[in-house]
Amino acid sequence: MAIVQQSDSFVTVALWTGAVALGLTLLLAIQIVLMRVSLRRRERREAQVLARWRPLLNQIVVGERPSLPALAPRERLPFLRLWVHLQGSLRGDATEALNAMARGLGVDALARAMLARGAREERLLAALVLGHLRDREAWPQLLPLAELSDSALSLTALWALVRVDPVAAADYLTPLFIEREDWALSHVAGILKEAAAPTAAVIGRLLPTLPQERLPRALRIAEALRVPLPGAVLAGALNSEQVPVVIAGLRGVMTPETIAEVRALLAHEDWQVRVQAARALGRIGAREDVPRLVALLADPQWWVRYRAAQALRELPALSRADLEAVRAGLTDRYAADMLQQVLAEEENA
Amino acid sequence: MSFSSFLVEFITWFVFCYFIALNLGYLSLNLFSLRSLRRKGQEMFMAELPRAYSGLEPPISILVPAYNEEATIAASIRSMLQLSYAEFEIVIINDGSKDDTLEVLKREFALLPFPEAYRRQIPTKEVRQVYRSTRYPNVRVIDKLNGGKADSLNAGINISRYPLFCGVDADSILQRDSLAKVTEPFLRDPTVVAAGGTVRVANGCQVSGGFLTKVGLPTNVWALFQVVEYLRAFLFGRLGWSAMNGMLIISGAFGVFRKDAVVLAGGYRRDTIGEDMELVVRMHRLLRARRQPYRIEFVPDPVCWTEAPEDFRTLKNQRIRWQRGLAESLNANWGLVFSRNGGVPGWVAFPFMLLFEWLGPLIELGGYAFMIWAFFTGMISWEAFGAFLFVAVGMGILLSASGLLLEEMSFHIYPRGKQLAMLGLVVILENFGYRQLNSWWRLTGLWRWLVQKESTWGAMKRKGISQPDAPK
Repeated sequence: MAIVQQSDSFVTVALWTGAVALGLTLLLAIQIVLMRVSLRRRERREAQVLARWRPLLNQIVVGERPSLPALAPRERLPFLRLWVHLQGSLRGDATEALNAMARGLGVDALARAMLARGAREERLLAALVLGHLRDREAWPQLLPLAELSDSALSLTALWALVRVDPVAAADYLTPLFIEREDWALSHVAGILKEAAAPTAAVIGRLLPTLPQERLPRALRIAEALRVPLPGAVLAGALNSEQVPVVIAGLRGVMTPETIAEVRALLAHEDWQVRVQAARALGRIGAREDVPRLVALLADPQWWVRYRAAQALRELPALSRADLEAVRAGLTDRYAADMLQQVLAEEENA
Repeated sequence: MSFSSFLVEFITWFVFCYFIALNLGYLSLNLFSLRSLRRKGQEMFMAELPRAYSGLEPPISILVPAYNEEATIAASIRSMLQLSYAEFEIVIINDGSKDDTLEVLKREFALLPFPEAYRRQIPTKEVRQVYRSTRYPNVRVIDKLNGGKADSLNAGINISRYPLFCGVDADSILQRDSLAKVTEPFLRDPTVVAAGGTVRVANGCQVSGGFLTKVGLPTNVWALFQVVEYLRAFLFGRLGWSAMNGMLIISGAFGVFRKDAVVLAGGYRRDTIGEDMELVVRMHRLLRARRQPYRIEFVPDPVCWTEAPEDFRTLKNQRIRWQRGLAESLNANWGLVFSRNGGVPGWVAFPFMLLFEWLGPLIELGGYAFMIWAFFTGMISWEAFGAFLFVAVGMGILLSASGLLLEEMSFHIYPRGKQLAMLGLVVILENFGYRQLNSWWRLTGLWRWLVQKESTWGAMKRKGISQPDAPK
C-alpha cells in the first residue's frame, strides 16, 4: 500500500500531461476543421471568380472587346492567377490584349502595391504579373527583390526584370548571375534566354576581367546561351591551371580556332578534362584526329572511352565503313567493345 | 522506502519520461516541418502557372528492379514512359525472375540484345544480357542472375547513363510530374546528393493507364491505419529531419540519388534487408568523414503511390523486415554516431533513431508490460495505471493529429469531408491496439536481427489497385 501512496505525484504529473495532450489535440482538431471550412470557402469564391472572368478573358484573347466590370477586392488573387495562367499559355497579340485589359482594370498598380506590401505568396504572384505586363514602373521595386536570399522570390523578380527591359537587365544582372552560386545554372540560363543577345555582349565583356574562380560559372552560362566565346578568352581558359576552368572552356569550344589546345588536353591527367577534350574534338576535329581518338578508346576511364567513341562517330570525315574498319583493327577489348556499343546506338537511333 | 518500491517508482517514472520524450521529439520535428510546408504552400500555385524559368534539368536514369513481375511489369513501364520530364531512361533489371517477366518485356517493348560496354563500378551478380527496346530508345533491360533488390539496383547503376538515378519499385505509381519536382533540390543546390519524395497508400484509389485518377481511402482497416502512419512518417518525420539535413531514410519506393556519390559510397549493400536506409546512413557517414559539404533532402509533394498490405500476415512480415532493416542500417554505421564531424546526422538523428526507433518497441512494450504487471500485483494504484494509459494514448493521438494537420495545411490529398472525418477517427482508433501491435512486430524484428534469424523479402500478397480502364 505504501508503494501505491508514492505514485500520487506520478498520477498528478501524468494526468496533467495527458490533459495538456488532450487539450492540444482538441485545438488541432478545431484548427483542422477551420482550415477545411476556409478552404471550401476559398474554393467557392475562386469558382465564382472563374465563372465571371474566364468568359471575358476568353473573349479578349480572340480579339473581342467586351465591356468589363470593375475588379472587386475579393476577386483580385484568383483573377490574377487566372490571368497569369492564360498569359503563360498564349503568345503574340493575345498577350498584348490581355495586358491592355489588365492595365485598364488597374492590375499594374495593384501588382506594384502587392509587391510593396503583400505577403510572400502575393509578392511572387505580383512579380509574375509585372513581368508579363513588362511594367517599367515596377523596375525599382523588382531590383531589391532580385537580391534577396529567397531563391523563389529573387528568381521570379529576375525573370520579371528581364521581361521588362532585357538590355538593362542583362547589364545589371549578368554579374549577379555569375556571382550567385546558389542560383541553379539551369534556372539562370532559362531566365537569360529572353535576353540572350545583350547577355552575350555583357559576358563577352566580363570574361577577360573575371577572376579564375568565377570563370567556370561564367563559361557555363555562356555555353547554355550558346554565346560564342572570343578566341583569346577561350585559349586562356584552355591553358588555365584550374581544372574547372579548363573543363568549362572545353565545353565552349565550337570552332577549330583552338584545336591545338584541345588536342594537347587529350592527354591531361584529369579524366574529366580528357572527356571534354574528346567531346570537343568530336565537334571540331578532322580525319587526322582519328589516331588520337582511337588511342583514347583504351583509356582506363569508361566515360573517356565512351566520349572518344562518340567523337569518332561524329567526325565528319569518317563513314560507317571506316569506323567498322577502325573497330576491326582494335586490339584492346575494351576499346573494341565501346566502339561496337556506340555503333549499335547509332543503328538503333 | 524499500528497494523494491524505489525500483517500481523509478521504472514508472522512467517509462513515463520515455513516452514524453519520444512524443516531444516527434512534435519538435513537426515544428521544423511547419515552416517548410508553409513556404512550399506559398509556392504551390506557381506549379500550375507557366514556370518563371525553363528547366535544363539533369537527365535521370529510372532503375526498376523486377523479380517475378510478369503480370504488372509492362503496364508499370508504360506508365513510366509517360512521365513528364525532359530526358530520362528506364533501366529494368530482371533479377533472375522465375516467371515470364523477361518474355513479357521482350514482347511488349520489342527488345533486342545490345552490345553494352558498361562499367562494373559496383560488383554484382553476373549480367547475362543487356537488351534495348527498338520501340522506345530510352528503355533498356538487364537480364541478370538473381541477387536481390540491392544487387539489381547496383547492376542498374553500373549500366545507367545519367548523373542522377531514381530507384522505383516495379509496382509503384508515380505522379506524372514527380520527377520534375524531386529533382528541384539538385537544381537549387549543387551539393545535394539525394532527395526523397512522399509515398502514399494507393489502396482505395483508382488507377487508369498507370496513373492515379481518383484518390480514395481504403475500406480495409489495416490499410486505413497505414494511411495515417504514412502521413505521420513522411510529412513530419522526414520533412523535419530534412530541414536539419539529418534525414536518414529515403524510401526505396521513390528516391533520387547522385550516382557519383552512391558509387563513391560503394553502392547498395547486398547483405541487408533495409538497403535503402543503409545507403543513406552510410552516405552521411562517409561524406561527413570526408568533410564534404552535402545535403540530403526530402521533397514533400512528388507523390509516389504504393499498395499497402491488407492482410495481417503480410503487414506483420513487412514491419518485422522494416525493423530488421533499421537495426542493420544503424548497426553497420556506428562510426557516424557522435563522430567528430557527425553534425546533425551523427549527434541528433542517429541517437534519436537509436533511442526511439531502434529501442523504441522494447521500451514501449516493456513499459506497458511493466505497468500491467505492477498494477495487477498492487505495486501501483489503478489511478497511476489509468493516468499512464491516458498519457500514452493522449500523446499518440496528438502526434497523429498533428500529421493530419500538416496534411490539411499542405496538400489536401483527401478532398472530401467524409474522408477527413474518417482519418480523424483512425487517428484515435489506431492508439487502441494497432500501435501496440505494431510495436510487437517491431520487437520481433529486433529479436530476429539479434539472433540473426534469416528473413527474406518473401512474396507480398497484393490485392491490386482498382484499374477500371486498364486493359484486361
